[in-house]
Amino acid sequence: MLTLLEQIDKGTLWRAHGGVHPPELKSLSNQTTIGQLPLAKHFVLPLTQVGDSALLAVEVNQRVLKGQSLTSGTSFAYCPVHAPTSGTITAIKPMPSNHASGIEVLSCIIEADGLDEAIKTDAHHAELSNQEILKIIQQAGIAGLGGAAFPTHIKLSPASEIELVIINGIECEPYITSDDRLMREHSDEILAGVAIIQRLISPKRIIIAIEDNKPEAIDAMQHALNSSTLANGTTRITAVPTKYPSGGEKQLIQILTGQEVPSGAIPAQLGMLVQNVATAYAINDAVANGQALTQRVVTVTGLNSQTPGNYWVQIGTPVKHILDTLGFNGNVANDKIIIGGPMMGHSLPDISAPVLKGTNCLLLPDSSEIADSVAEKPCIRCGECAVACPALLLPQQLFWHSKAEEYDKAASFNLHDCIECGCCSYVCPSDIPLVEYYRIAKSAIRTQNEEKKQADFAKLRFEARLKRLEDEKLAREAKAKEAAERRKGSMSSGDKNAVAEAMARIKAKKAAEAGTEPAPSNDIADKKAQIAAALARAKAKKAGAAAPTSEAAANKESAPADANDKKAQVAAAIARAKAKKDAAKAANTANTSGQSETDAVSANTAPAADDKKAKVAAAIARAKAKKDAAKAGNPATPDDAIAQSEADSATADKAQSADDKKAKVAAAVARAKAKKQAALTGNTAAPADVIAEADAVPAETVSAADDKKAKVAAAVARAKAKKLAEKAKQSIQDTDMAIEPETVSEPIETAISETRQETVSNIVNTKDSTDAENSADASVSLVEESASILTAEQQKKARIAATIAKAKAKKAQAKLQEKE
Amino acid sequence: MSGIVIAIVVLTILALVFGVLLGFAAEKFKVEGNPLTDQVEALLPQTQCGQCGYPGCRPYAEAIANGDKINKCPPGGTATMEKLADLMGVDPEPLNATEEVQVKKVAYIREEECIGCTKCIQACPVDAILGSGKLMHTVITDYCTGCDLCVAPCPVDCIDMLPVEQTTKTWDWQLNAIPVKQLQEDTLC
Repeated sequence: MLTLLEQIDKGTLWRAHGGVHPPELKSLSNQTTIGQLPLAKHFVLPLTQVGDSALLAVEVNQRVLKGQSLTSGTSFAYCPVHAPTSGTITAIKPMPSNHASGIEVLSCIIEADGLDEAIKTDAHHAELSNQEILKIIQQAGIAGLGGAAFPTHIKLSPASEIELVIINGIECEPYITSDDRLMREHSDEILAGVAIIQRLISPKRIIIAIEDNKPEAIDAMQHALNSSTLANGTTRITAVPTKYPSGGEKQLIQILTGQEVPSGAIPAQLGMLVQNVATAYAINDAVANGQALTQRVVTVTGLNSQTPGNYWVQIGTPVKHILDTLGFNGNVANDKIIIGGPMMGHSLPDISAPVLKGTNCLLLPDSSEIADSVAEKPCIRCGECAVACPALLLPQQLFWHSKAEEYDKAASFNLHDCIECGCCSYVCPSDIPLVEYYRIAKSAIRTQNEEKKQADFAKLRFEARLKRLEDEKLAREAKAKEAAERRKGSMSSGDKNAVAEAMARIKAKKAAEAGTEPAPSNDIADKKAQIAAALARAKAKKAGAAAPTSEAAANKESAPADANDKKAQVAAAIARAKAKKDAAKAANTANTSGQSETDAVSANTAPAADDKKAKVAAAIARAKAKKDAAKAGNPATPDDAIAQSEADSATADKAQSADDKKAKVAAAVARAKAKKQAALTGNTAAPADVIAEADAVPAETVSAADDKKAKVAAAVARAKAKKLAEKAKQSIQDTDMAIEPETVSEPIETAISETRQETVSNIVNTKDSTDAENSADASVSLVEESASILTAEQQKKARIAATIAKAKAKKAQAKLQEKE
Repeated sequence: MSGIVIAIVVLTILALVFGVLLGFAAEKFKVEGNPLTDQVEALLPQTQCGQCGYPGCRPYAEAIANGDKINKCPPGGTATMEKLADLMGVDPEPLNATEEVQVKKVAYIREEECIGCTKCIQACPVDAILGSGKLMHTVITDYCTGCDLCVAPCPVDCIDMLPVEQTTKTWDWQLNAIPVKQLQEDTLC
């Protein structure tokens, strides 16, 4: 069993599947030597890589020289475009492309100046490194000249080991003879280029494959090989039987080595590399002469061509210029102008399109050469196409699915392996343009894949965005939470109380400004405050102008107090002033003033600002008590009053809760009144005081805020009870009795539940007939009990009732005073 | 008599065994979510445009899986609708959008008019707009899905939706198709 290399050395050939033998018609163009096409007036250089992997290096109105690069780039895939002649750039704009679609692509238009002045180049020397040679090849802009125009420097720097290099001189397409003529005339240069490739790749073998319909080319190449520097053992020229499409890369590998390039793979994966002979020539031109790829051999042929033959054509020459120069028998509108061969070429939609690096043939057939497209007939499933297919596909299946636009099914029949050689269309008895269907299907599949890729990418980005938004939201929330916590931490409870106090102060002030009459207000708390304020004011008025000394004293005392307590202090000061004045009146100056001083101190030392109301009330109560005691002229009462006021102030201090303040006010007022009554009647003040004090104790111990109303009610009830008891003793209560039961029961009726109402009315009823003290105690306990179960709404009403009751009490007091 | 008892006992045991098996399988091989949703979503074009009335392609996929109509996706076009019909086993319905809407477009910001308000950036569902406050914005064309969502928020109306131009690489080889050229208003004859 011979190895592959031994078989190659023996010149063994394998059979490739399929293929056709179309009429060659090469003799039309291969009889004359390669001519030189005159320079065109302007050139169109498509800049397909600009915006992708290259940058524009020139600008409009710039003069460029032949061989000057129009683009710049650093990426590996970058393949420069060079000016084919000297001239001025007149425009850089989209121009019709040399493509089946004729779509406009960005192009550089050079107006030739006719001088054909080349950029200065230095010929390279042999002692170049491989990297330098590759760089030169890249900078020369060399691309596959066989038709695909794949950048050569990429192909020549393979990732894997290359054992076999195939130089493709097959040129299997009918009509085309550019490689044939090049091999005949420039075999030495081609072999020099092959030597450069050998140096770069170092393959074990190099095969120069030429179809056997080009005997002159084979001879010329063999002759050149014999005289070349290439080692004879490694390089050989192999004649390949003529068959279309043996020039295809995969087919040629199959023929020369018997190996099949797998689907989707490239020859490099088999350790093989295929280069066109014209590319080898261009490599030599670039490396040896420093010439960039600015011209190529183009076969101009067909019966419509007046002078068929091969010509050196500058890349970028408009097709129109070739037609004009070489003569075109047909007319542009009706006759086809085909770029490439008859099998794989495409008709050109616009003759202003330029010649490209891959343009090897310009076919100008007349109507006898290329039949008009005949109507497509139904597929008869003859299977000729499958026989002809060089890629071992099932063309009729592909056609079936492509026509039905079932592209996924077409893809499942390996549509992407179709090389679009056109053999199937050529053999089809039904004249079906199969390749057209495949091209449409291929582009549709490509578009689908592209869209799928885009959709996946869009989804990724959408999800990334959602995640980002979510993260941002969370971060924001966390930040807000942190800030709120910080704020909460910095704000003490005192601040909140301060706000509440400020509100209360404002209200009190407003009420004070409104006058002595309590302004109508919805808020019961307001009313209370107003009442208290009114009381204070009324007292102040009654007292008249205060003694300047006591004023000063009061001011002095208020100075050290907290600013927040201003109102309270003012009230306290007023109360103290009154107390002092009254005491002075009663000639008990030393005793009472000293006492009031201590009271004031205790009021100031009351720690919570919330208690100011309570303090005000306490002060008022004390003042009243003292005044009354003084009025009565009883020497004992001042002491009692002092004791009482002490107890009151203690109560006020102890009751820290703001909620209790109203209750305390009421209680204090009630107690004071009770005392006054006692004093007025001239009976022993002590028992009454004792009762009052005893009453005050339970009121204090009921600490819960809910109970405040109950306390109010209790205080009112107690006060009334006491008053009534006193009155009963004095037997002057004829008129009062008529009022009191009514007035007490009435508000309570509206305020509290029916059961409670009953108890209260019972209390009121019993109060009259039974022993005053007993009934008072009983009623207190009852009222307290029942009040504690009051709801918030009822409490409000209870407050109203209490106020009314207090007002009545005041009235009664006034009456008593009148009677006195 | 004993035969009946044995039969009942055996059947009961079998029923229990299979019940346990099925219960175990139901737990072990439980599928999270509706697998149909993923299949539907794979067919949708992921433009996230919201033209279906749902805030993105995923919610619409869920809606379709739950029985919503399949013809609400203009960016997907008739092809997507037909695939959905195939998948869902329902009859294809005509798309509830005009052909004109189905041309793939991308957003383009007339940069000299942009005031840098970032409103379009916030609207873009795929973060395809680049820019910052008071700085000019631009659309990353490759990322743009042509969803139209950035057009409305623009306070100076400097965003155009331009149809994607065909290049030689994306050309579809429709040689026999009558080429349609877009005419500018001033060049109309």
